[in-house]
Amino acid sequence: MSLTTAQKGLNRARRGVAPSGAGEPSGPTNRTSKLSAQTSRTFFWLLLPSIVLLVLIHGYPLIHAGVQATHDGSLIETGNFVGAENFATVLSSPAFWKAAQFTLLFTIVGVFGSWLVGLGLALLLRTKIPAGGTFKVLLLLPWVVPIVVSSTAWNWLVATPDSLIPSLFRHLGLGAPLFLADPTLAAITVMVFKVWVSFPFMMMMISAALASVDSTVYEAASMDGASRWQQFSQITLPLIARSTYISWILMTIFCVNDFPTIYLLTGGGPVDATTSLVVLAYRTVFQDFATGPGIAIAFLMTMTLVVISVILYRQIRKSSVE
Amino acid sequence: MSTVVHAHPESGPALGVANDGKSRRILSEAGHRGQWWRFLAILVITAIVLVPIMVTVVLALTPGTTSTTTGLTFENFGKVFSGTLASTWLQNSLITTLATVFVSVAVAAPAGYVLSRGRSKAVSGYSLLLFVMQSLPIITSVVPLFILFAGMGLVDNLMGLTIIYVGSTMTVATWMMAAYFDSIPMSLEEASWIDGCSVFGSFTKVVLRNSLPGILSTAIFAFLLAWNDYLVAIVFLRSSEIFTLPMGVQSFFQQNQTDWTSVMALAVIMMLPPVIVFAALNKYFSVGGIGGSLAGR
Amino acid sequence: MFNKSSAASTAFSRRGFLGLTAAAASVPLLAACGGGSASQGADPNGVIKFWDMPWATPAYNDAAKKIAEGYAPESGKLKASYQTIQWNNFYQTFSSAIASKTGPSVSTGGGFQSFQFEQQGQIAYADKVVDGLKANGMFDDFLPGVLEPFKSEKGYVAVPWQLDMRVFWYRQSLFEQAGLEVPTDWSSLLEAGKALKKIGAFGFATGSGAGNNIGNHSMIMMMVNNGGGVFTKDGELDVMNDRNVEAVEFLLELVSNGIVDPASVSYTTENLNAMWRDKKAAFGPYVLGVPERVGDTSGDIMVASPLAGPHGDKGGLVFPNNIMMYTNTPSQESSEAFLIHYMGQLKELWKQKLMNALPVFKSITEIPEFASDPNNVKIVKEWQPIAKTFASQGNVLSDKLAVLDGGQALNQFTQTILTGKTDAKSALQTFQSGLESVLKK
Repeated sequence: MSLTTAQKGLNRARRGVAPSGAGEPSGPTNRTSKLSAQTSRTFFWLLLPSIVLLVLIHGYPLIHAGVQATHDGSLIETGNFVGAENFATVLSSPAFWKAAQFTLLFTIVGVFGSWLVGLGLALLLRTKIPAGGTFKVLLLLPWVVPIVVSSTAWNWLVATPDSLIPSLFRHLGLGAPLFLADPTLAAITVMVFKVWVSFPFMMMMISAALASVDSTVYEAASMDGASRWQQFSQITLPLIARSTYISWILMTIFCVNDFPTIYLLTGGGPVDATTSLVVLAYRTVFQDFATGPGIAIAFLMTMTLVVISVILYRQIRKSSVE
Repeated sequence: MSTVVHAHPESGPALGVANDGKSRRILSEAGHRGQWWRFLAILVITAIVLVPIMVTVVLALTPGTTSTTTGLTFENFGKVFSGTLASTWLQNSLITTLATVFVSVAVAAPAGYVLSRGRSKAVSGYSLLLFVMQSLPIITSVVPLFILFAGMGLVDNLMGLTIIYVGSTMTVATWMMAAYFDSIPMSLEEASWIDGCSVFGSFTKVVLRNSLPGILSTAIFAFLLAWNDYLVAIVFLRSSEIFTLPMGVQSFFQQNQTDWTSVMALAVIMMLPPVIVFAALNKYFSVGGIGGSLAGR
Repeated sequence: MFNKSSAASTAFSRRGFLGLTAAAASVPLLAACGGGSASQGADPNGVIKFWDMPWATPAYNDAAKKIAEGYAPESGKLKASYQTIQWNNFYQTFSSAIASKTGPSVSTGGGFQSFQFEQQGQIAYADKVVDGLKANGMFDDFLPGVLEPFKSEKGYVAVPWQLDMRVFWYRQSLFEQAGLEVPTDWSSLLEAGKALKKIGAFGFATGSGAGNNIGNHSMIMMMVNNGGGVFTKDGELDVMNDRNVEAVEFLLELVSNGIVDPASVSYTTENLNAMWRDKKAAFGPYVLGVPERVGDTSGDIMVASPLAGPHGDKGGLVFPNNIMMYTNTPSQESSEAFLIHYMGQLKELWKQKLMNALPVFKSITEIPEFASDPNNVKIVKEWQPIAKTFASQGNVLSDKLAVLDGGQALNQFTQTILTGKTDAKSALQTFQSGLESVLKK
């Protein structure tokens, strides 16, 4: 009963949010007929700076990485071509799969953890709260502080048995956890740290998406008897779906590619418990001085990331056509 | 000349700042009591979240081991500014970051416009390519980039660093701009074309002019990336006179001892500009922020 | 160029051109920030670039800079410039600079960096520098055994300038409080550790957290202490020898008895410093200058004598830090002349008490500024003669040691031991296969 009325409100809301519509029903055809001669040339010039930068800053290192990954050289010399040997070495090493596993877990927790916290705070901040604007700025701080510094602060809070948080646990009778020394706890701590660093980004994304929702939708829905939960799941969530997908993609890239958060807090330890693929790639290249295999790890990681991004990208396209 | 088209903020909620009040009003009927409960909740959450930040600030205010002062003091800041090149670093960071922001937006806005309006296979292919190419982690690409840039005389100076930052922010920035342009009705441009504007003319006169929130959120993304980076800077910068702030922080980490109070003081100095930017632009996040613009995609 | 529409060309002047004005505004900004490069690369052939690391406080780098820049070469030789390179990612910095021919002519750096770059054909051998030191008498001033590790088949890969030592330190007051004598051998260390635990102190303070290699060094140090080590005399891998097994078993015993702080595995150097500062650390291996480092110069923290292992062996670790020359130099003779000069000026750094390391020259160990510190004297007298390098049981350094020192295999091994969830043989087995896989090339 109320489901259908909520659905109506939802449709109204969708129309309200995107009056211009992502579908662009009439625009393009009109325009192309009028200005097509000029358009493609102009478009080319508009794109040119970004193409140059893309080739220079992203294309060149990607090709270079491709060369390094198939050679046995160092950072200085290219060395001999070894074909797929580096990839074979990497793929047959248990350390790689362990790191891949941790990266997956780290990314999932990082993306959804920060999304959930960000969503909760965005919803809370959307309501009328005294000094709400101040809180919003304050809550952005974890994202703003350089990781070199916040990792040090976190170390201070958890590293030794006498640090603030372990002492707190002890006083509460919860034992004496070693947050960075125990492999499981260290993994959890790194993930919590990542969520702490990332949730402000999510909060900002969601706040902005929520702000463009027409509030009358909710009034209509609650008049029709939709519960809070129904309002949330039937109206709010679908309305922020597109920005959610985008934020998930971006955060996936941020998490998979994240080096300093992990490296500065745990160095990848204890005993590899928090070694992600980027950390493994870094340590292989710069500490084991095995350039080829290290770059091969980064290369494999990049390819996986591309596949995930493309899948999520399709999802966005779908959700905007809907 | 007389054909400048103004998009009215009210013409679409995704465009302007006008419906700010509306969203703020949601749930206000829940009453004052609920309001204070929520205030308490957010206060507690904020306090917990900010504990690591407070640690940093307190350490920045704690007298150093060689100091005779007791209690909290600002002397670390004085020490950092007078004893190190902190003011130069601050200036370098500002120059690099602002240059990155300007150039990045200047590159991303036109490209984003094409991505938004172009319907050809080539354009959507390029859109995906932008996304795909940036996935290589910076730690593996920084060495080849250094060798390339060294050949052009662009290492150990802020220009080379800025180009890298522009390149690495440009991809996401282009996407963000494209997403924002999607939310601008085509009808505005069509009207300007009828009045004789070129595609480029209507982009600059009509579209850009109405894209301030999108531009600002893109700018902030670029700002934070350039402001906080040290992985590129540490390879590209050598001379302490051209360090950026994150490099300055790094330079306090010595072989055998680290001057933590100076690190923390510099860290607090580093936090301030982004906080000021956020505070000043706060109202835009509520409507046209990153998410808002991307949400239109 | 952009288009031919007149409407658009008038529009160029409009203020609505946000993107363009932004681009235009950034041009002078970029021009302004390019300024640093002009002076930097003005005349790359005119100067010997000397790169140095932050070996101690910033005052150290200031003093070293003064020495380098105060160098007045004889006619026909080039002057020197000084550049501090950050420790963070330094291998990346050196590699990218060398690969792009913008690297230094002379540098300090990682302990085994010279051997790594020698392998890659980037190092200029220092035989003529050694000849020069012989000629001016400084050669005979070297402490015994410090130069030999740098002699390869092709020549001297580098010249040592300071000795970074790992020695045992102890906190006197904690031993007094527990009513204990300072340990002299492994069994007394174990007993003392058990007693110290009762007063809340740790008898073997170490750390293996992010960026901290003291834990790694502790492991090798105990092997060396027991007459073991990771390599044979001929430089072959020899991880599983009996002495190593024994040493690791002893370390595991320390861990299982709670003599090693269970959180050690995650301790950064700062955490370890705090442990000494807060009187949690009673005994343990560390670098020189611990009192200054942790900010307690009351004399309570002192260097202990070397411990005797179960077979009576003694040993400590030394990392002979060295200055290397590169083939990419404007003038090899100038590089050599500068290095000889710089070696002669090193005394100044110890005179100003800027160093946390032993000098390589006997004469410097005798200057009052150095010899007035009883800890220094003890290290020179008791530790330096028995100290061995990472190459132990051999003594010829090589690029393999860089992999051992910074690599993942040793770090994993150390962390496995410090968490205590293993037995000696299987941990060493994993360590060995880890090393084999990276060294096999």
